[in-house]
Amino acid sequence: MKPAPFEYAGPRELDEALDLLAEHGDDARVLAGGQSLVRLMNARQVSPAVVVDINRVPGLDTLGLFGDNGSSTLRLGATVRQRTSELSDEVAAHAPLLAEAGAQVAHAPVRARGTVVGSVAFADPSAELPAALLALDGLVKVRSRAAERTVAADDFFTGPFRTSLAPDEMVVAVDVPVATGRTGSAFVELTRRHGDLPVCGAAAVVGVGDDGRVSHVRVALCGADERPVRVPAVEAAVLGADDPAAFTEAAAVAADGTSPIPSCHGSADFRRHLARVLTARALRTAFARATSPKETTDA
Amino acid sequence: MSTVEEPRTEARRWVGQSVPRKEDPKLLTGRAGFIGDVVLPGMLHGAVLRSPHAHARIVSIDTSEAEALPGVVVVLTGATAAEHVDPMPAFCAEPVEQRAIAVERVRYPGEAVAAVAATDRYVAEDACERIRVEYEVLPALVDPVAAMDPSATRVHETLDSNIVFHRSLDWGEVDADLARAHTVVRSSARWHRMGAHPIETAGAVASWDPFGQSMTVYSNSNFINFLPWAFAGILRVSTNRLRMIPCAVGGSFGSKHLITKVISITGALSKACGRPVQYLEDRADNVAANDNVGCDRIYDAELALAEDGEMLGLVLRIIDDYGAYFQFAHGQHGNAVAQPVGPYRIGSVRYDVSCVLTNKVQQGFFRGAGADPGNFILERLVDKAALEMGIDRVELRRRNFVQPDQFPYKIPTGNIYDSGDYEAVLDRALEIAGLDGWRTEQERLRAEGRYLGIGLATCQERSGYNASEWWFLYGDEAPLPATSTPESCKIDVDAMGGVRATIGCPLWGNSPETVVGQVVAEEFGIDPSAVSVVYADSTSGAISAGPGGSRVTIMLSGATRGAARTVRDKMVRVAASAMEMDPEDVECVDGVFRAKGVPGTSMTMAEVGMRAHLFNDGTSEAESSGLVAVHTYDHPYFTPPTDDRSDLGAFYPMVSHACHIPIVEVDPETGEVTLRAYYVVNDCGTVMNPALVEGQVVGGIVLGIGAALMEEYRYGADDGALETPTLREYLLPSMHEVPEIVLEHLETPSPFTTYGVKGAGEGGRLVAPTAIASAVDDALRPFGVWVDELPMTPERVVGMIADARGDQR
Repeated sequence: MKPAPFEYAGPRELDEALDLLAEHGDDARVLAGGQSLVRLMNARQVSPAVVVDINRVPGLDTLGLFGDNGSSTLRLGATVRQRTSELSDEVAAHAPLLAEAGAQVAHAPVRARGTVVGSVAFADPSAELPAALLALDGLVKVRSRAAERTVAADDFFTGPFRTSLAPDEMVVAVDVPVATGRTGSAFVELTRRHGDLPVCGAAAVVGVGDDGRVSHVRVALCGADERPVRVPAVEAAVLGADDPAAFTEAAAVAADGTSPIPSCHGSADFRRHLARVLTARALRTAFARATSPKETTDA
Repeated sequence: MSTVEEPRTEARRWVGQSVPRKEDPKLLTGRAGFIGDVVLPGMLHGAVLRSPHAHARIVSIDTSEAEALPGVVVVLTGATAAEHVDPMPAFCAEPVEQRAIAVERVRYPGEAVAAVAATDRYVAEDACERIRVEYEVLPALVDPVAAMDPSATRVHETLDSNIVFHRSLDWGEVDADLARAHTVVRSSARWHRMGAHPIETAGAVASWDPFGQSMTVYSNSNFINFLPWAFAGILRVSTNRLRMIPCAVGGSFGSKHLITKVISITGALSKACGRPVQYLEDRADNVAANDNVGCDRIYDAELALAEDGEMLGLVLRIIDDYGAYFQFAHGQHGNAVAQPVGPYRIGSVRYDVSCVLTNKVQQGFFRGAGADPGNFILERLVDKAALEMGIDRVELRRRNFVQPDQFPYKIPTGNIYDSGDYEAVLDRALEIAGLDGWRTEQERLRAEGRYLGIGLATCQERSGYNASEWWFLYGDEAPLPATSTPESCKIDVDAMGGVRATIGCPLWGNSPETVVGQVVAEEFGIDPSAVSVVYADSTSGAISAGPGGSRVTIMLSGATRGAARTVRDKMVRVAASAMEMDPEDVECVDGVFRAKGVPGTSMTMAEVGMRAHLFNDGTSEAESSGLVAVHTYDHPYFTPPTDDRSDLGAFYPMVSHACHIPIVEVDPETGEVTLRAYYVVNDCGTVMNPALVEGQVVGGIVLGIGAALMEEYRYGADDGALETPTLREYLLPSMHEVPEIVLEHLETPSPFTTYGVKGAGEGGRLVAPTAIASAVDDALRPFGVWVDELPMTPERVVGMIADARGDQR
């Protein structure tokens, strides 16, 4: 389990990194935390000619709020560690779902190296953070030497370990719009062991109006399809509800039309089953948190 | 052939104490000296190319591109390796040849097809990528039942069938017991293949001397002082020109008895290039092609009971998926028939076993070694009988336990149980578990829609094997003589009174140095820390079967005490001569030789040592200078099998016992099983060192949790591809999955062994899987779930609930 020979590049500026990507395209891979890439290289499942280590690029470790009055956005740069995000007061205050999902990623030593953006760019269909980003209506900030663009998370994930990223592009940050009003969120998952990738996980964000009814809802799943997915059918069924019992009923369609990737940890059918169970749990908890902030666990 | 320990009269000072582990400092500071630490001048590094196919004909191999890579010294295929080494021993009668590198055909995914030696491991792996192998893929045999079909593709063309072995043996009146039974409970069971997965994989450094035609092999194998001739045979080196040097072993769990593939490949590479070569499996090598995948059994079992719950007879029909080759023949079934009846007075046993070949890596030994699924199926049957007959599961066990006054107790197969008090163990376990409190908690949680379960299992741990179990299932002819399966220790006291023990077994992750230190300290009255312990290589003549079958503390304490007493007795005579006294009047107390009852006249260890080494006055009869003794301790109690195998003899007679009570919570929606608490009462005879035994029991339970909930080799149903090639797929428990384990001991010393010691190395894993199955059953009783397959993965648990409810899925 030794990697094939490769060139290592340690750019000191973003433009330098982007130049390398422009030059090498598919033959280059970006190294941030290395928690997936290095493992794959050791197994020779990935053998890039050039590894572009972005850890020394200044400015990519931004974590904070920006934006003017009315709408603000939480930004996490490409080298922000998962552990930093998980423990950040700003993340806890403005995107608690990201903190809750992030705390369930692997183990603390892995999170101390792994980055939030790295997990998003890797696009593992079972991983927690891409699903959380979907439920948060997150945006992916993409740069190449030629251009800069912003992609909605839902458009970013295109398949298993596949994204809409071009070979000369890299993700420089993810943005999460900060919710206002009475909002609750929850991330629940089933793992085979503590810290494993989930067999299936569900992220839910629920906003409740003054009338006590669901006014905003997002549900996203991991491990339930070929990519992290939103579940619009469940969202539509839940909108306007004011009774947790409605969530279980709505969750019954959570797996309709999905194509889970079977593995030794769960067949496609079992993943569909979990999608329904976990969607109901995530919705119930998110609703409880929206309506009673002290509520922290599944009702 | 039996030795009976004299009743314990004297108080013991060191045996029985939690003496700090001698091995810890070097292990904790990385100075133990593992195979990866061995560096020889000019040493090359090996890597292995493995088959991606479960079953294929090798059409051609082109190594030219690999050989052209700078840094590559030699590339071997199966054919060219065969110029240097011979097939590996299988210890079986059937014509099944296994070579470390496949010739013409690969029979399991991960089987080696080529090996490279290069200046470093990176280059060696680069070279593997440049070897071009053309395969003709053949149908993969994955399902053992399908492989039994006469029309199935044969794994070995030298055999008539994939059913490589079938035998049915009755001990006692099985049919009569079935006929007279009031109730016959029946259960199927599925026990999947699992493996040991030690942190350190199997490895070797081989150095061939073409001038002396001799080979030196460093390795983490166990059998270097038991079967060194078997390695010489593989390596095509004369037995007296092979030197095998043990390295500290980074975990084994029974997995490194031979490691013949690694030693064969390393030796072949070294012979091919005349330079030392190191080959240490990486994780992918080890998971795919190790020597320690355990049993893979399908059971169809029956337990016959009288109306009052008396257990009469047991029927075990077994299909065992052996994989593609043999290793240790039927040792894992020999192991199972050491204790098929558990702690119960069951009068008859039928053991009907079919061993089937498929396209998977071959079985080997691993903690439990065949008795693990045996305990699983037996305890499942007992729980089922309790349920069907309406008898409390604790009460049913009590009614059938072998009683303390019945020992030594001969079970139907012929094996002997030396001692025990099973009811006392059960009573204490129920007490420490606080069962009533958990039942109350269970009711409270059920009202909340939560499912708590209380498990119970009372199982045996046979220990101290006699190797006749490897072959006695063969034939009706006169058996081989029973195997003595020895262990050796050499003790020498130098001229300054320093005590050194040289032992034949390697440091395999257990604690031989600590145990030897305790025993020497006990016999001389010195401090264990004063005793130096070193490991013998294969040229020392220290015959040793080493750890395995929970034997090493039993055997090593016997060997050490024997050697220590021989030296001590000579020192008494030397001291007596020097002090002009009768040896009968001299004793050794606290490392001082003194006149019994006459304080003041004494000699220290150093004074006796100097006299014995340099100042032998020649007056004492037939005693030469020096203080050295080798003691080889043979198996303390064994009898041979009869010709017709109606009695297999006593071959595993030191039988420990334990009661485990795990508490689980099951989420019926997700199928997740969480251990809440775990209680154990263990009886392994005299506890040599409580801290060491705790480590063994707890570690065994952790592996048992893996067996119960997560560990399983999986293969693609169609192509036979290994679906669990890394530890991301093959799951081992971590500390997060292990609850606090409350452990107590009862001691019924063995009458057969030195100090009354019995084995403790495997008990945790022999009991925990079936105990946890019982707990999950108990939790899901409202659904009517019956656990008959391990591991209980979330998907299986949800499936079992759905099946029990009759859901359509």
